[in-house]
Amino acid sequence: MTNGWVDIKNTDVILAMGGNPAENHPVGFKWFMEAKKTRGAKLVAVDPRFTRTAATADLYAPIRAGSDIAFLLGIIRYAIENKRYHEDYVKVHTNGPYVVSEKFEFNDGLFSGFDAGKTEYDKTAWAYEPDPKTKAYGVDPTLQNPRSVFQLLKKHVERYTPEMVERICGTPKDTYLKVCQIVTSTGVPEKAGTITYALGWTQHSTAVQMIRAAAMLQLLLGNVGRPGGGVNAFRGHSNIQGATDIAGTFDILPGYLKTPPGSSQTLKDYLEAATPTTLNKEAWASMNYWQNYPKFMVSLLKATYGKAATKENDFGYAWLPKVDGNYSWMYICDDMYRGNSTRVGGKEPGPEGFISFGMNPVGLGPNSKKWVAALAKLKWLVVAENVETETPIFWKSPKQYDPPEASKIQTEVFLLPAADFAEKDGTFTNSARWMQWKWKAVDPPGQAKSDQEILARIFLAVRDLYKKEGGPLPEALANLSWSYTNPVEPDLGEVLKEINGKALSDIPDPADKTKTLKTAGQQVDGFGQLQDDGSTMCGNWLHSGVFTEAGNNAQRRSTADPTGLGMYHNWAFSWPANRRIMYNRASADAEGKPWDPKRPGIVWNGEKWVGDVPDMKPDAPPGTFGAFIMLPEGVGRLYASGMNDGPFPEHYEAVEAPIDNPLHPKVTSNPVSKKFSSDKDIYGKKEDFPIVCTTYRLTEHFHYWTQHQHDGVLNELQPGFFVEIPEGLAQQKGIANGSQVKVTSARGSIQGVAMVTKRLRPMKIDGKEMWQVGFPIHWGYAGDPNHTGPLANTLTPSAMDPNTWTPEFKAFLVRIEKA
Amino acid sequence: MSAARPQRPFDTAVVAARDRENVIVGNEIVRHRLVSRVIHWSVAVTFFVCVFTGMPIWTPVFGWMAHLFGGLTVCRLLHPWAGVAFFLASGIMFVHWIGDMRLEPGDREWLGPKAFAYMRYETEDTDIGKYNGGQRLFFWAAGLGAIGLLLSGLLMWFPRAFPPLLLEFAYLIHDVTFILFAVAIVFHIYLGTAAEPGTFGSMVRGTVTREWARLHHPRWYRDVISGEEDRRR
Amino acid sequence: MSVQQNLEIRRSSASVWGSQSGMRSVPTVSKYIDTTTCIGCKACEAACIEWNDLRHIATEQTGTYQTLPTLHAEYWNLIRFNERDFDGGLVWLMRKDQCMHCEEPGCLAACPAPGAIVQYANGIVDVNPDQCIGCKYCETGCPFDVPRFHQTTGKMAKCTLCVDRVSVGLEPACIKACPTGCLQFGTKDDMVALGARRVEQLKSNGFTNALLYNPEGVHGTGVVTVLAHGDHPEWYQLPRDPHVPILVRFWKSFLRPLGAIAIFGAVIGALTHYTKFGPKEVRGVDAPDRNLPDA
Repeated sequence: MTNGWVDIKNTDVILAMGGNPAENHPVGFKWFMEAKKTRGAKLVAVDPRFTRTAATADLYAPIRAGSDIAFLLGIIRYAIENKRYHEDYVKVHTNGPYVVSEKFEFNDGLFSGFDAGKTEYDKTAWAYEPDPKTKAYGVDPTLQNPRSVFQLLKKHVERYTPEMVERICGTPKDTYLKVCQIVTSTGVPEKAGTITYALGWTQHSTAVQMIRAAAMLQLLLGNVGRPGGGVNAFRGHSNIQGATDIAGTFDILPGYLKTPPGSSQTLKDYLEAATPTTLNKEAWASMNYWQNYPKFMVSLLKATYGKAATKENDFGYAWLPKVDGNYSWMYICDDMYRGNSTRVGGKEPGPEGFISFGMNPVGLGPNSKKWVAALAKLKWLVVAENVETETPIFWKSPKQYDPPEASKIQTEVFLLPAADFAEKDGTFTNSARWMQWKWKAVDPPGQAKSDQEILARIFLAVRDLYKKEGGPLPEALANLSWSYTNPVEPDLGEVLKEINGKALSDIPDPADKTKTLKTAGQQVDGFGQLQDDGSTMCGNWLHSGVFTEAGNNAQRRSTADPTGLGMYHNWAFSWPANRRIMYNRASADAEGKPWDPKRPGIVWNGEKWVGDVPDMKPDAPPGTFGAFIMLPEGVGRLYASGMNDGPFPEHYEAVEAPIDNPLHPKVTSNPVSKKFSSDKDIYGKKEDFPIVCTTYRLTEHFHYWTQHQHDGVLNELQPGFFVEIPEGLAQQKGIANGSQVKVTSARGSIQGVAMVTKRLRPMKIDGKEMWQVGFPIHWGYAGDPNHTGPLANTLTPSAMDPNTWTPEFKAFLVRIEKA
Repeated sequence: MSAARPQRPFDTAVVAARDRENVIVGNEIVRHRLVSRVIHWSVAVTFFVCVFTGMPIWTPVFGWMAHLFGGLTVCRLLHPWAGVAFFLASGIMFVHWIGDMRLEPGDREWLGPKAFAYMRYETEDTDIGKYNGGQRLFFWAAGLGAIGLLLSGLLMWFPRAFPPLLLEFAYLIHDVTFILFAVAIVFHIYLGTAAEPGTFGSMVRGTVTREWARLHHPRWYRDVISGEEDRRR
Repeated sequence: MSVQQNLEIRRSSASVWGSQSGMRSVPTVSKYIDTTTCIGCKACEAACIEWNDLRHIATEQTGTYQTLPTLHAEYWNLIRFNERDFDGGLVWLMRKDQCMHCEEPGCLAACPAPGAIVQYANGIVDVNPDQCIGCKYCETGCPFDVPRFHQTTGKMAKCTLCVDRVSVGLEPACIKACPTGCLQFGTKDDMVALGARRVEQLKSNGFTNALLYNPEGVHGTGVVTVLAHGDHPEWYQLPRDPHVPILVRFWKSFLRPLGAIAIFGAVIGALTHYTKFGPKEVRGVDAPDRNLPDA
């Protein structure tokens, strides 16, 4: 979230799309209702199904799963066409006035720079056109230059008329226009609107561009950085935000630093490639905060290798693994299944073993059958879990998952009983970026151990093995800093201190060299004090400030709220720097006055910025720096050349497309989305599978976990798997409510109880009748035998977004019949 | 039979009353044979179990009755089963007596003037058979009442199986039937005991005196005397 | 729940001597349910089960989000889900169903067991299992179809409005668990005021038929419910005009006393008759027997 949960109460309009917050975030949803009740805020729900969110919404608009970009670009078109955008904001805080090079083009569904062989774009084709005189970015403050981002955007979205949106999305035109009207009503300074989303956007082959489209809309409406505004992602687990921050995926190090590639053999090479530069150096310059990248990286290396990391040895940079090619879990599965890896230029053997920690890939990965088959090819599998999920018992999965004969499976499986969330201390970082400490409530049962103990014991044993037997690059393990009081079960408070970072030697105050900011051994106050000379260490610069000399700030619980806007600065710690609203400089105009005086984010009081923790140099007067300090431009991007699939979003059909793309039939799906080619990766055709299907969760269950509860209340509330089917389709197929149905995709079929409902509306897409069905994901073959069910992901495809490699769980094709 | 025991005088009437009705034995006439009396008393006993378990539930005024059976909860448990037993007993009684209970043309007057006249001991009717019109009407009313109580009682027993309005009527029917029944039973007992001496004997010993028969059921008396009944068999 | 000694009783079932009245004056309490902000998450259902230690019953997916078709002796709090198409579009209504704690409780009116159903001074209507005889009369008396017979205990069971929590100053478990704030708890006056405000807001938002459901037929309920479609309470499976059934009133308050009088009357009648006429003795046995056929 750019803003926070509580901040939703400050909004005037909520567009809940790509998510069903009432279902999946019922506690946070309280703030939606608060906004409705106290401000009369309007809630607009856009979803393929009439959801629990829609049930409380002021307006519900049905949409075909996977067509969200067309819907959003249509709103952008409406805003521009009807002058319902926040023009001053666009001029001051976005790259709308920036001039783009002539190399950028968009024709027939393809952006310039497309390499059909590699199915990748050459992103240099999308660069800005620097001003030949100033050498800075070319800018047209009037927004009239035809090569300005604003004009290019206007041209790009011209095709997304309400009629076209209806044709693509199936949303009736009058409903759609009402949505446009309500959402763009916030395109004025005195109004603020928020957009909330969750996995309904992140799990598409066009996922990142969907979210981009929303961010662009918010920038146009002047809603980013403001109380009651923002682009707000609701995370699917209590601590998924924390997991991502601390390096949840293979391509990032803690704090979203980049995993070094093989091409960066020295720290210098690496830092040069990773540290951005800016052309904006004069008025409204970019703070280009990432210029501090070396400080964050060196402090991370010091935290990782301790005293062994010295300036002379590049702070141990050489010991860090270098990553070439894609090691996301989807690719790892593919490698396991095929038994080899061809991604790094040559041919390598596939993985021998797999450690699955707090993750149930057989349940939550797409194409369950492929996962079962892939695990069966391993030599060993380690699963750390608090219940026996599908993954450790993949070898006895039922027949419909096509497991090999159990006696022929050679995989040795180790199931390590792990403590659950209530059985260990630690922090949860919620969607609002609040790091909140939690205390252990009960001891883990039996032999179950906390995650850190399991990891520590494995680490210590492996390090001993390397000491005794040697191996490649033993220094990487031998030099790893492991200075915890109890090395076998590190105290999480100590770990959090390490994450926060400390001074290793006295740090002089840059303002007054006679003074020191911090003396050796003291915890730093925040990432602003980190150094690139090895005098500080920090496990994650972004979390720096969480455990200072003042103590563990994640444990703060003050409900004092002097702003009245629900910022609660003394409740827990909100990264970065305890800031509650990111980009909050954009909540004020060019002079530093808030757009809406009733809802100020930060205000320039003549000397400094006051209000929230400023996302700005605290004493830099208005006009010095742009509001978006992390970007080299210093302004928000309506046009982003860093995406792998285009600087503007464009509507592409899902990989399994139910129609040819009405905008450009030759390029129906995202041309750079990723697919696999194994014999288990079959993608369905619209002729064989005419029905659009989506998957989702229920508020009564938590993933693949709660249905393990024997005789449990949650199983009482939602006893089993079902398939939601629109009434009209049920009639056509003769399916009665409560009877058994079979749903089949190109990858398999599953069976369950039919829930015939009005809440899935009949749709007309591209002139044809089209139906959508859906089902929840919570059941599998593990757990309480009274509450098992089919794995929803038997049907989902391993097709991915090209930026995040997140699978397309939310839109695929099926057919349906009576069972 | 032990010879040591003194022989009691042989009570012919009682012996006869075990299995044959409408026969003259000495100065007595057998009115109700043993089977009839057992049936009658089983109806009476089940009825009173119903009454004493039902009335404390019916209104707290009769709450004290609950103590007879160990409290209201026991009453609540017993009542429906006792009701079923009462209905079965009534059913048997109905079948057993129906032959004697065919209504006759003048019986309707027993609903009004005849009943009052009867109670004032002013009736001069010599054409009263084994049962008078009042008794016959009571028989039919009791039969109907038993059905009404059973059906309405079943609804009350399993309320979820029936629509609410029907249920509300069931309570009404159960109540009204019971009230009428209760009033009738009061008079039934009164007439069978205090008001008409000699009657009670017909239900315990089975016999009545010739005089009693001649007074209360003259036609039946004539028939018995003339032996018509026997011949008919 | 056994009788809460620290709460005074306002009314008690089958009480011959009428109601007791307490010395202390306590405000009537009420739950507040805003169906327009309810998301049907069932946290209240789970909280109810856990706080009241209800046994987990086997449920089955039959094609609805609703946990059970109807309330159950081990399930006192149930969200009812209703989908409905109408002119204005589609609605998916969710209403928390439980005992409404009527000001004029039909269950209490129908109950024949003294003290088995009580209404506390704060308005909570509760079944006292020590006194309950399981006769199910309250099922017939209840206009909201709430009380359920428990097969194992042989007693009636229903929402107690967490009288054990409320009597020590806590809110009911369902209210505590509600994440969206669509459930509130307080004095009846406060809850009605809250409801009135919300209804006004809904009306200005275009729901011109919005209504605070607090039916007059039972003199108001201890659970007030905000309905956006107040003109169609049946869409929420709420009775339009609930009242203690007239027949229940009739037989309980009129027929039964009358019947008792009739029975006593019959006994007195018989005694009077006996006093006046005496027994119908067999006399005059010596008189010529006119009835004998001529010999």
